[in-house]
Amino acid sequence: MTLPQELDASRSLLDHLVMDLEGKPLGRVDDIELEAVDGKPPAITALLLGPLALGPRLGGRLGTWWVAVGRRLRQDASAEPPRVPFVAVTELRPGEVRIGLLRSEHEPRLMTWTRDKVIKPIPGSGGAA
Amino acid sequence: MSRLLSITLGVLTAIGGFLDIGELVTGSLTGARFGLSLAWVVVLGVVAIMLYAEMSARIAAVTGRAVFDVVRERLGPRAGLANLTASFLVNVITLAAEIGGVALALQLASDVSYLLWVPLVAVLVWVVLWRLPYGAMEKVYGLLGLALLVFVVALVKLHPDWGGLWHQASHPRVPTGEGHPTWWYYAIALFGAAITPYEVFFFSSGAVEEGWSRKELIDARANVVVGFPLGGALTIALMAIAAVVLQPRGIQVDHLSQAGLPVAVAVGKVGVAVMLVGFFAATFGAAMEVALSSGYTIAQYFGWSWGKLMRPVQAPRFYTVCLLSLVVATGLILTTIDPVKLTEYVVVLSAVAFPLTYFPILIVANDRAYLGDAANPRWMNALATVMLVVILAASLAAIPLMIATKAGL
Repeated sequence: MTLPQELDASRSLLDHLVMDLEGKPLGRVDDIELEAVDGKPPAITALLLGPLALGPRLGGRLGTWWVAVGRRLRQDASAEPPRVPFVAVTELRPGEVRIGLLRSEHEPRLMTWTRDKVIKPIPGSGGAA
Repeated sequence: MSRLLSITLGVLTAIGGFLDIGELVTGSLTGARFGLSLAWVVVLGVVAIMLYAEMSARIAAVTGRAVFDVVRERLGPRAGLANLTASFLVNVITLAAEIGGVALALQLASDVSYLLWVPLVAVLVWVVLWRLPYGAMEKVYGLLGLALLVFVVALVKLHPDWGGLWHQASHPRVPTGEGHPTWWYYAIALFGAAITPYEVFFFSSGAVEEGWSRKELIDARANVVVGFPLGGALTIALMAIAAVVLQPRGIQVDHLSQAGLPVAVAVGKVGVAVMLVGFFAATFGAAMEVALSSGYTIAQYFGWSWGKLMRPVQAPRFYTVCLLSLVVATGLILTTIDPVKLTEYVVVLSAVAFPLTYFPILIVANDRAYLGDAANPRWMNALATVMLVVILAASLAAIPLMIATKAGL
């Protein structure tokens, strides 16, 4: 893994596409988690994904509402957005962050829900109903 | 040889694909009211869409990013969401107008009310998106759209005063009896019809999905540089036949059948039959593109899997959005809202959302970290910046003019 020691997170990280090992999109970098260990400057510890991370960045009433929708989508009642530890990042490309995980192990709820409840029941969707 | 053939095929489909319900309605309507005095707007619109379609295809081919990837990245989540909301609304209304257009073409052919055709058309659009090999269907509809060349045949057969038409087009003035605000309002409508954002959403997403490299970019440029101007020429031919047949008789276009009247006069029944095939193909092809575009924009903003080449189970959120927008659009047109009026409104409304889509494209097309040596040359930036100013002016003037003229009355 060759990652820069310093980077402009707002230019080369935030809102970029998160791609898994197989090149499947996991979402976008909706926010980042920073941690300051005493004395040292804060370092990026994780990428945050999904509505619970995006809501606060939208701000205002819309942001609050966004977070509320995000919470309803979570199966566990946790108010924490899904996080990808920054050590899992393998490569930064223009507009894209590659990570060494598989999407199939972290499928977003909206994806599984639309697949199982909406798409699969329609004949010819490519998956046995 | 087969390469030349594929390029020719691409260009032919681009001509057919350029025209949709927006051009058919606004072209004919403005021709009947203002002669060729607004033909310059079509030329301006073609130049604008050529520039921005080429840029978005180049970004897609070099970086693998589609337009809404770029929008989210460059505008950030808030302004990106504002653009997404506006684009999605415009997409759904455009989809309703296209479905209405297909249904009206079928009504003209069958004498069965368009409202009865609407559900059938919606199901047909869905089946094509869901199951059929999309690439082949796209080519079929693009080629069938060439039937609209009948506008050119009609124009020639009408033996118009070519010098007079050229004079109207090259010395634009507002015809007597029409107000300046109305003239400008329809100028925006024509401009809006030529550069509706779904065209760049669809074009760039297709490029990403089919994994275009720089080699395919040459084909894309041929489509843009040859296909779009020829599509624009067809729009002007439609304006011209309306100017020759409808304007002197004071006939206003408020139904698709009136748009076809000059063809009936000049070429007769066979001409009308050919034209109806063209109407059907152009609007049906556009309906598929718009339905997909509503899925593309949302999926790209959120970073979901998307694509017409993917099976529905592989991109369930994308297909759910496409399905939902198709259902909503069908509902909208079934409210018996006039499809022609709806088209007039939506081309003007889409002008309002333009700058938020086209500005990020121009920014990224200049980003050497992204595009390296494929970034914009200077002349292109100069031209694209001028166009962006025009786009911004159209966007700002659209709503005030719509109110001032009571939507072109």
